[in-house]
Amino acid sequence: MLLSVENLIVKYGNIQALHGISFDVDEGEIVTLIGANGAGKTTSLYSITRLPPPEAPRVISGDIKYKGQSILKTSPDSVVKDLKMALVPEGRHIFGNMTVMENLILATYSREKDADLESEYKRIFKLFPRLEERKDQRSESLSGGEQQMLAVGRALMTGCNFILLDEPSMGLAPVLKYELFRTLKQLNEEGMTILLIEQNASLALHLAHRGYVLDTGEIVAQGSSESLMNDPKVKKAYLGG
Amino acid sequence: MLRKYSVQLILIALGGIITYIAYQELVSLYILTVLMFMGVNIILSSSLNLVNGYMGEFSCGHAGFMCVGAYVSSVLGVLLFTKDKIFGAPLLNPDLAVYLFPVIIIIGGIAAALFGLLVALPSYKTRGDYLAIITLAANYIIISLIQNMDIIGGSRGFMGMKKVISNMEDVVYLPWMVIWVFVFTVGSIWILRRYVSSVFGKGVSAICQDEVAAEIMSVNTNKIKTITFMLSSGLAGIAGGLFAYIVGYVNPGSFNILKSTEALVMVYLGGMASLSGSVLSAILFTILLELLRPLQIIKWVVIPLILIVLMQFRPEGIMGNRELSDIFPKLKRFYRFK
Repeated sequence: MLLSVENLIVKYGNIQALHGISFDVDEGEIVTLIGANGAGKTTSLYSITRLPPPEAPRVISGDIKYKGQSILKTSPDSVVKDLKMALVPEGRHIFGNMTVMENLILATYSREKDADLESEYKRIFKLFPRLEERKDQRSESLSGGEQQMLAVGRALMTGCNFILLDEPSMGLAPVLKYELFRTLKQLNEEGMTILLIEQNASLALHLAHRGYVLDTGEIVAQGSSESLMNDPKVKKAYLGG
Repeated sequence: MLRKYSVQLILIALGGIITYIAYQELVSLYILTVLMFMGVNIILSSSLNLVNGYMGEFSCGHAGFMCVGAYVSSVLGVLLFTKDKIFGAPLLNPDLAVYLFPVIIIIGGIAAALFGLLVALPSYKTRGDYLAIITLAANYIIISLIQNMDIIGGSRGFMGMKKVISNMEDVVYLPWMVIWVFVFTVGSIWILRRYVSSVFGKGVSAICQDEVAAEIMSVNTNKIKTITFMLSSGLAGIAGGLFAYIVGYVNPGSFNILKSTEALVMVYLGGMASLSGSVLSAILFTILLELLRPLQIIKWVVIPLILIVLMQFRPEGIMGNRELSDIFPKLKRFYRFK
């Protein structure tokens, strides 16, 4: 297993957010965590990436393992740098004052100097041609969809081979949503491991190989995407009948 | 060739001219002192701009670090090179002062940088208003500490630095203070410019904009905050050391919140995240203070008023996030400001 979360119990102050959840992601897979608001999706993700710094979720018990090694003591920057996991956070968190290109350059912050960055920029611009058109534009002037593309592109520029996405479809027009998910599919076919967190369950399950359904801090269903889509309980609660 | 090194040449020429003027005593001591204060203020404002402008934190205790640098280098100089009532005979040959003077100024800076940890460590978990209060507290902690240390004069202050300077002049007769203020000012600006334009320094502006985003771009925010705060307070310490030797007398009262405010005013006057703005505003502010000196205490009504008017009509300061080269693009031919 590339990443395995074992019996994770997490608290924010006195509030227990996760009641011992377990899930795993294998190399080259697309796994999705779906669930309603407050189910604990983002908390699980933040526990893995050790974010956000001031009020990071407190892991009470359980373990998160990357290739069999516990990563609970790893610092956030080292998760990106050494474990090659990149987060696309909810709300995008791009650097609004900087241009698109500067955002991408900043993503290479702690990469080795001899990495072939030029060809990687080209790859990003091939995946998202819109970003190339707006290369020198301040990124806060981009539309929501373009900002999301930038957030994904920026995560890719960290040189990751495992990308974690937190509700990438939020606030996007349907056309853009499908476009983004097609790109994710393409990335996966090129070998990228993806952990996707979504409220839009049907969209997520169509993309993913496997899925977990979270409800108020517990995993209530899991399995292959088809089996979840056909599960009457999941259908009723998340897929609208 | 000449174009490439024009800035270096101009600086060397400027340093030479100022030294020559001071050596020949072509201008009065008063004007020289004002020039030296300009240098000190340039270091102060540009180092504070690193924290307030580039990193986006609000530090309002900059004078505290200046105070540490001033006391450490003064006490060290007096202890090592002069015969003093309290410290007794000089520990080293007084003639060595001429070589070791920059070293004791830098030691003062290092001590101030260590005190910078007082602010750097809490900044891991707090930011914004709360951190501002911590910087204010740090300022008061430092002043109170010194006020209660009787061996270095307590609140009466500490003097004897003039003797160190005259020792230096006995060995080689040169306007040493003018030379060193100039060298340290240019050096500080050079360090700051290298820092903020380096790849590592990009992390500073990343923290300014979005700390979470900085973390997920593998920026080690704690490390950067520590280094930035220490660099900023270290340079303030160097400014303090120079200030102490220019005046020849220090007392803790002159490094209180009013002095910190002066530094803040210079930063906001010049514009956030603009080194050339900080330099420019430090020069203007020093001149302004001297021009308004006849007004005496009313000066402190007029200067804040000027600031209010400025903020009304030009809230981003003189330069506001830009460097000289952004306003006069032709300058880029001579010098890369960023």
